[in-house]
Amino acid sequence: MGLSGLPLGSLLGIFGAASALVVVLYILKLRRRAVPVPFSRIWDSILRDKQASELFSKLRRLLSLLLQLALLALLVTALGDPKPKEDLREGRHLVLLIDASASMKAVDVKPSRLAAAKAEAEKIVRGLGAADRAIVVQLGSVPTPRSSMSGDQSELLQAITAVSASDTRAELEAGLAFGRDSLRGLAHGELVVIGDGAYGDTSTLGERVSLEGAVLRFVPIGKSGRNLSISEFSVRRYPLDKSRYEVMLEIANLNDVPADVELELAGDGVVVDVTRLKLGPNERLPRYYQDLAGASRSLTARIKAAPGLDDLPADDVAYALLPERRRARVLVVSAGNTYLEAALLLDEYLDVSQVAPGAPLPDARFDVAILDGVAPSLGERAGSLLYLDPPADGPLTHAAPLEDFGFDTWERKSAVLRFMSMGDIQVAKGHSFKPQAADKVLGASDHGPILVSGARDGHRFVALGFDPRNSDLVLRIAWPLFVLNTINAFVEEDTGYVSSYRTGEVWRIAVPGSLASVSLLQPGGAKIAVPVSDGRAVYRGEHAGFYKLSGGPDDAPLGEFAANLSDLEESRIAPRKELVLAGKPASAVAIAPVSFKSDLWIYLLLAVIGISLVEWITYHRRVTV
Amino acid sequence: MGLLELFRPKSAPRRAEVRRAALFDDDFQKKLESLAIVSRRIFAGRMRADRRSKKKGSGVEFADHRDYAPGDDFRSVDWNAYQRFGRLLVRLYEEEEDLSIYFIVDSSSSMAFGDGKKFDQARRLAAALAYVGLANLDRVTIVGATDEVVSRMPTTRGKGRIFKVFEFLSELTPGGATDLGDAMKTFVAQHKRRGLAVLVSDLYDPAGFERGINTLRFNRFEPFVLHVVDHKEARPELKGDVRLYDCETGEEREVTVTDSLLDDMARAFDDYQKSIERFCTSRQVPYFAADVGMPFDELVLRVFRRGGFLR
Repeated sequence: MGLSGLPLGSLLGIFGAASALVVVLYILKLRRRAVPVPFSRIWDSILRDKQASELFSKLRRLLSLLLQLALLALLVTALGDPKPKEDLREGRHLVLLIDASASMKAVDVKPSRLAAAKAEAEKIVRGLGAADRAIVVQLGSVPTPRSSMSGDQSELLQAITAVSASDTRAELEAGLAFGRDSLRGLAHGELVVIGDGAYGDTSTLGERVSLEGAVLRFVPIGKSGRNLSISEFSVRRYPLDKSRYEVMLEIANLNDVPADVELELAGDGVVVDVTRLKLGPNERLPRYYQDLAGASRSLTARIKAAPGLDDLPADDVAYALLPERRRARVLVVSAGNTYLEAALLLDEYLDVSQVAPGAPLPDARFDVAILDGVAPSLGERAGSLLYLDPPADGPLTHAAPLEDFGFDTWERKSAVLRFMSMGDIQVAKGHSFKPQAADKVLGASDHGPILVSGARDGHRFVALGFDPRNSDLVLRIAWPLFVLNTINAFVEEDTGYVSSYRTGEVWRIAVPGSLASVSLLQPGGAKIAVPVSDGRAVYRGEHAGFYKLSGGPDDAPLGEFAANLSDLEESRIAPRKELVLAGKPASAVAIAPVSFKSDLWIYLLLAVIGISLVEWITYHRRVTV
Repeated sequence: MGLLELFRPKSAPRRAEVRRAALFDDDFQKKLESLAIVSRRIFAGRMRADRRSKKKGSGVEFADHRDYAPGDDFRSVDWNAYQRFGRLLVRLYEEEEDLSIYFIVDSSSSMAFGDGKKFDQARRLAAALAYVGLANLDRVTIVGATDEVVSRMPTTRGKGRIFKVFEFLSELTPGGATDLGDAMKTFVAQHKRRGLAVLVSDLYDPAGFERGINTLRFNRFEPFVLHVVDHKEARPELKGDVRLYDCETGEEREVTVTDSLLDDMARAFDDYQKSIERFCTSRQVPYFAADVGMPFDELVLRVFRRGGFLR
């Protein structure tokens, strides 16, 4: 035991002065309070028999003085802040990396792995010495510090309480790097990983992360690793019949025993299909549901297995969102184009108006205008423009007339050319374009660009450098796809719509308009602001479920999307008993007994208060005076 | 007007007046008029009154005959006796005289101890009994005594003089030490005419309560002891280490008061009261304990009458 507060000499001085004061006060207190009586002779008669009790009374008063001196001694000792000798050494610096990945939601230990990990972390914090400092870090897809490097137990315990599990994998490498950086320059650094050890292949982790002298410790959590999961889930509408859709999903049995699974598919909250499946050991079973109808917006897949086969409920549910169906208004300015009219008839969600060139234009606003061989100025009537063989005074300057040409190169990933093969299209005549710097060439012959996209005066356009009727394009399936892809790309209704994002990754969600930031309503109900960069909201999502975007002056709805864990590696939840880094296993954590705390002065003070309370009560009940 | 008007301060609140009037009202005063103080001895009176005396005179009760002497009133000659005996005999009648009643009110500091109820009780008793005496044409004298006779109301008679009694008692203030022996010596020296001596006191006499009573007895007064008792003094509200001091003598005692000590105190208080009663009884001195907690009219109208102090 040693003193970390005032030195012994000072304590003795304080005790001497204060005890002298106590003795003086005690002597003054011995002057009893005077009470008048009407006739003292009556008292004399009884006091004669009480002489023997006087000695006890004096002794009791002496005990009272000794009690006061004992209280003083306790107080002075508290000023010295006594501590066990082991607490007086230089303190450790701990980084508590609490695994908050999806696998920590497993319930093989009750109530969950995360709760068990937090309990272990609390034990470590309560066992910290007086000179020890620690920081609590939530280990998810990115390490998130929940506290500062502190010795304040209440702050650390509060930070542990704030740790919550996400639907992402734990990036141990990032966590160790963060811990190493946090401990840089600090003595006796220790990295304590508290988790199930399901961090994928860590054999080469030691080569990538250097701990720079910090000690790695590991607290294993978890008992068994039985799990069934939905590892993939996707949905899309049919391009030519958007009322119908198809679903692809994959179920994985990660157990060494076969499993019977009930798969439930719900659209907009209503069950649309229930299937019973039998999966072999470690089998991954893909399933396709084609030509489905009945859901207009959301889809949810859920699996149920026999008890004991599935310890992780987090990956038993998957979410997907169908692209929104909207009737697009299309203006066709054409002298008559049967192929074009036929292509537009294929999509029942198009509201087509046709006018002849030179005729008065309808006084309405259109999402898309298709200009067949003409390039009139439409002003604000149309949002986007598709030019078919535009004249020379159109949006693009003609470079050169062409004959007998085709697409030699084309942008395969372009939404306009999705699902299309342009290589064998023959064109009789046309012309190439001179695109501007900001324009994008989507297709070109060897003689120059023949399919260009860009923007003029705030209106997007796609221009085709030939009349389709002068080619065999109109005879191919690529023609209606080209027309409908272009319209869909203009109205943001992409057939390649992402039905769900993957948690733990950075999402880039297209946002209409020119907003600097949008609001994102998370599955848990929390609403956060998300920055918008290049027309896309950028956010790293950590929870599976449905998200809603809103923004603008009225916080108007901007769209919805879904997110899923969909990570087979994270679904492998078999816990590890040890964590090996660079061939060396992490050591165990030594936790000091909680019963004896280093802040002894608190107990001394409590003792003083307790004794004073007893003294106060007995004084007022006239027991000790 | 009730007797308690005596103790009513001029600026006393109306509620206090109502309470006191309830204790000592006009009805109670009328009841007092029908009472008389009993004296077991016959003392020589000075004036004609309702008390029998040893003198023969002009009363209505026949006492004796004597031989006629020249100058006697012919109306008192017993002519029947002359016919039988042939001698002129004169009828003698018992003279009815007044009785001297002395009220000795202890006005030491101990009487005003605490809330002063004992002193108030003593003055009320003295006033009530003095009214009884005045109503019976007795000669009433009131003195205040501590270790000496501190004040004295001149002898008076007739119930019309009750206001003098009230005035005297209201001006009587407590203070000083008790020494009834010395005070009674002074008293008997000042009052040659013997009579009833009603001692109204708590009898807290450091020199012994016996001395004062014996002084009255030995000087041929007929003492009555009205012992004013406050039982709150038997078990004071004390606890812990205290320094007790006598409110009269200032004597100090350091005491650690405990529950058992308070029990002993209650027993000692009771023993002291019994010792006084035993002393008085053994010397045929009428003794009455006037508890301040007892209703005043019950004390006067029942206890004193039952004890033979009043009739």
